[in-house]
Amino acid sequence: MDDLISEFLMETAESLDVIDSELVRFENNPEDRAILDNIFRLLHTIKGTCGFLGLPRLEAVAHAGETLLGKFRDGELSVTPPMVTLVLQAIDQIKVVLDSLEQSGVEPAGNDAELIARLEDAAMGRLAEQPAEEAQQQPENWDSDLGRELRPGEVSLADLEAAFNGAEAEVEAGAEPTAADAAPAPVEHIGVGEFDPDLGRELRPGEVSAAELEAAFADAEADPAVAPPAVAEVITKDMSREEALQTAMAELKGADEQVAGEGGVKVMATVRVGVDVLEALMTTVSELVLTRNQLMQTVRGLEDDDLKGPLQRLSAVTGELQDGVMKTRMQPIGDAWRKLPRIIRDVSTDLGKKIELVMDGNETELDRQVLELIKDPLTHMVRNSADHGLEMPADRLKAGKSEKGTIKLSAYHEGGHIIIAISDDGMGLNTARIGEKALEKGLTTHDELERMTDQQIHRFIFAPGFSTAEKVTNLSGRGVGMDVVRTNIEQIGGVIDVTSTAGKGSHFSIKIPLTLAIVSALIVGCDEQRFAIPQLAVRELVRVGAGSEHTVENLNGARVMRLRDRLMPLVDLHDVLGVGEAYNGNKDETGFVVVLDAGGRNVGLVVDNVLDTEEIVVKPLSDSLRGVHAYSGATILGDGSVIMILDPNGLAGEIVTAMEEDASEGVGSAKAAEMANTQRLLLVRAGGAEPKAVPLALVTRLEEFDPSTIESTNGRLVVQYRGRLMPIVPIGSEIRTVEGQRQPVLVFAENHTSIGLAVDEIVDVVEERVDLQMSSDKPGVIGSAIIKGKATDVVDIAWYLDQSRAGNIQRRSSNRRRRILLVDADAFARRMIAPLLAAAGYDVTPTGGMHEVLAIAEAGEKFDAMVGDPSALSRIRQEGLWPDLPTLAVTDWPEDAQAEGLTAVLPRSDRGALIAALDSVSQEEKVA
Amino acid sequence: MTTHHSDNSELSAESMNEYVSVRIGDQLFGAPVDAIREVFAPQSVTSVPLAPSEVAGLLNLRGRIVTAIDARRRLGLPPREADDAGMALGVERGSEIFGLIVDSVGEVLRRPRAELEPVPAHVDPTWRSMVKGVHRLEKELLAVLDVSAVIGSAGASKEAA
Repeated sequence: MDDLISEFLMETAESLDVIDSELVRFENNPEDRAILDNIFRLLHTIKGTCGFLGLPRLEAVAHAGETLLGKFRDGELSVTPPMVTLVLQAIDQIKVVLDSLEQSGVEPAGNDAELIARLEDAAMGRLAEQPAEEAQQQPENWDSDLGRELRPGEVSLADLEAAFNGAEAEVEAGAEPTAADAAPAPVEHIGVGEFDPDLGRELRPGEVSAAELEAAFADAEADPAVAPPAVAEVITKDMSREEALQTAMAELKGADEQVAGEGGVKVMATVRVGVDVLEALMTTVSELVLTRNQLMQTVRGLEDDDLKGPLQRLSAVTGELQDGVMKTRMQPIGDAWRKLPRIIRDVSTDLGKKIELVMDGNETELDRQVLELIKDPLTHMVRNSADHGLEMPADRLKAGKSEKGTIKLSAYHEGGHIIIAISDDGMGLNTARIGEKALEKGLTTHDELERMTDQQIHRFIFAPGFSTAEKVTNLSGRGVGMDVVRTNIEQIGGVIDVTSTAGKGSHFSIKIPLTLAIVSALIVGCDEQRFAIPQLAVRELVRVGAGSEHTVENLNGARVMRLRDRLMPLVDLHDVLGVGEAYNGNKDETGFVVVLDAGGRNVGLVVDNVLDTEEIVVKPLSDSLRGVHAYSGATILGDGSVIMILDPNGLAGEIVTAMEEDASEGVGSAKAAEMANTQRLLLVRAGGAEPKAVPLALVTRLEEFDPSTIESTNGRLVVQYRGRLMPIVPIGSEIRTVEGQRQPVLVFAENHTSIGLAVDEIVDVVEERVDLQMSSDKPGVIGSAIIKGKATDVVDIAWYLDQSRAGNIQRRSSNRRRRILLVDADAFARRMIAPLLAAAGYDVTPTGGMHEVLAIAEAGEKFDAMVGDPSALSRIRQEGLWPDLPTLAVTDWPEDAQAEGLTAVLPRSDRGALIAALDSVSQEEKVA
Repeated sequence: MTTHHSDNSELSAESMNEYVSVRIGDQLFGAPVDAIREVFAPQSVTSVPLAPSEVAGLLNLRGRIVTAIDARRRLGLPPREADDAGMALGVERGSEIFGLIVDSVGEVLRRPRAELEPVPAHVDPTWRSMVKGVHRLEKELLAVLDVSAVIGSAGASKEAA
């Protein structure tokens, strides 16, 4: 695209944004000349540039709009909402044309005659209720369709003239009180004579200058006595046109508050610089800073006074340079808000609501990159507040509020962050409705909901796919809800929260970092390495172990810490990253817990050491590392070393994975560590002095029988139990009956039949982490583990059960253990089922999803049965993997599950049934 | 410049390939000169836990973060001695710089383009995907590295996108 065009597009887009919001302001303050002049000037510039660049369609629309505005300016028409709407429509049309111009590089074909006609009609006063003024307008120069005839060069001259005519006309007519003060003489004295020819010739897209001159005149009128001579003195021939103008403007304005106020025209010397240039500059400066730091460190050891002075100056200058470059990236947040007044105006017109938008803290600066990223979320939220938050005027009156609702936007700095608040005085969030919706979406349960505070319930609006709007309006509720807002904000390392009071309104607050490029970070140590954690995510630091009241505790293998009467999950950075030794939790060893805000939850990250806080420059990672979610980037520290920046949100993901890995480690590698999680174990003595352990979860009942009731039939021991014969198998070689002592038996119920294991003595029930240290070749023993400090054999219940059923000792060798493929997308379910199966003597391979399953299938692994959730199993069936295997589905709702192609569907709650069914299917398989 | 130094006037610069000769394991490789930004000694490489194994770590090259790729690991060779940092070839890919860690860097070699022979078919496929051809030198073979293939698929996929 033509450079000129692209520059024009950029400039015009900015101007149009300003016009949008200025028009809304103007509508409310029709008397404010400064606003109107500003609008007029901007639109005029656009029109002129269009003419210069040969964009007739745009020019025509802009011209018609300008003509109408001219009428306002000249006081010939009074400002009414329909008029403003019309001008806004013209602006919108210009935007539409600009959009396609940007895409295609040429002005799109089309006809705006209808809009132009309406604008012209309005300018004639036909739209307004002042037909009387129509006649008055006719003779004015304005009506003579200047726009269409104009050649690029002529535009400025003609308009300049027109502007002068206008000014003179005003003065002569004495229409405006301000204008009346301005004598024609000083206006001319400003040096029109000198400037005029210059301007006419030199002007490039530059009607700017003409328009600015106009603006200058307008101001001059306010203070005619002082300004003109001053200007004449200041402007010299050496000055370029722009300089001269700006000098003129500055002189004329002085410290004029009227203009310098909010949103007024500010004259600043600016240069447009490409963002890439700034980025490159930023990189160079970072490099300079690092070099300086290295130099400082080197010199610190030397006592060289000759070096010290210059080095200190170098250091100071470098610091200033860094600040300066940083500043170039900063933009006032008002830039992101500029579109909002227009949006609010449209909303209030569309919905018939009366809305006042109050914006506070426009000047608050933040990094342009951050600004770009929050623009859309902010717009969405303000729209939401207007659409859903504020009530209709009648409802407001009924509720005893003023008819006009207020939306307040504010922004301020707080400790390296920027806080943006969006509040309204509307009806507040509907707690009950949100609760219902959350239940509907399965985000919570009734029990949980009842225990929640209102604020906790309100936070559901940030949950994915959550939208409470009853109907989809034109404005919001288009499927993107607050969850998108939250995601966007979290992406830039921000957090969002909401408080709301029914009937009083809602208050959203967003906390975001000032800049993405420079982040304040906590430097932590882990296994001789350093890592940076963004401060924004750090809630607090807790020291654990020696000399601290806090300790790391274990709960079923998961680490937790008590923090103000709550349990907080802990993860060790060593484990997450897979480096070094995890903190052992000893009381005499010191560790540090960084309490992180990971996706809204508190998670404690255990590290070796907390070293420092440092302002770091975030550098993106290369593609080969971008897939590692634990990091958000890398940085170079003051000493020149590179360290990784941890990503708290990504870390939360890694944490879950790490937990799952823990679980699968416990059962996956059957040889080494079969049951890593703690289990309730029944310790018994049987066939020897050393204790044996049986997983209690598998035992249905403990019974004691009189030894005399145990009979022998057909070479098997049986006992009459509940009207049936129950086979009794001794653990150990034989039943050692002691006279007068009852025989303890562990009863296992399975498929309506029961089996008893006779033991010598029941010793204890313990809860222990079973860490099988040695596997066993002995039949009936899974392996050995240390339980209560003693080496203990863990009994292979399955082996005994099979034995009792088969009735003889010919059994699979314990080397060939049956292998189960466990498929369940739910990590928790996997963790629950896997140890159970492992304890029952199965070799379990847990998998989380189809991709894992496919990988296993590709590896050619063989299994004896599959267990898992019904949908996953059906998919495996569809894929045709392991077609002959028995499949056992486990689900919370067995009655809902499709049993097609599945061997059995079992309730998740009944562990015994699962084991029994597994035993029986693998039994069948053996027979077959 | 280079053309004047050519002792054989028939071979103009266009028909000659220039290689930075590097040694990885026992093999002599040649990295095309125009693919290499610079040669530097990697210092204080920060290892990155959880990273793909061929990523040796990150290092600071005059204020820019460089992703170091271990050529030995890419080629499936045993790792270097722990105290041998090797040398690095700086390779620019888009806005990123990669450092390809090799054992040692030798002189720049010029070989006639016509003498470049294809990689024999029975060479290990991993190698074949990273070697563009072979030059027969007097004493040994010079395997011509496809530097961007050695840097890895991650970068290549970005180019494709």
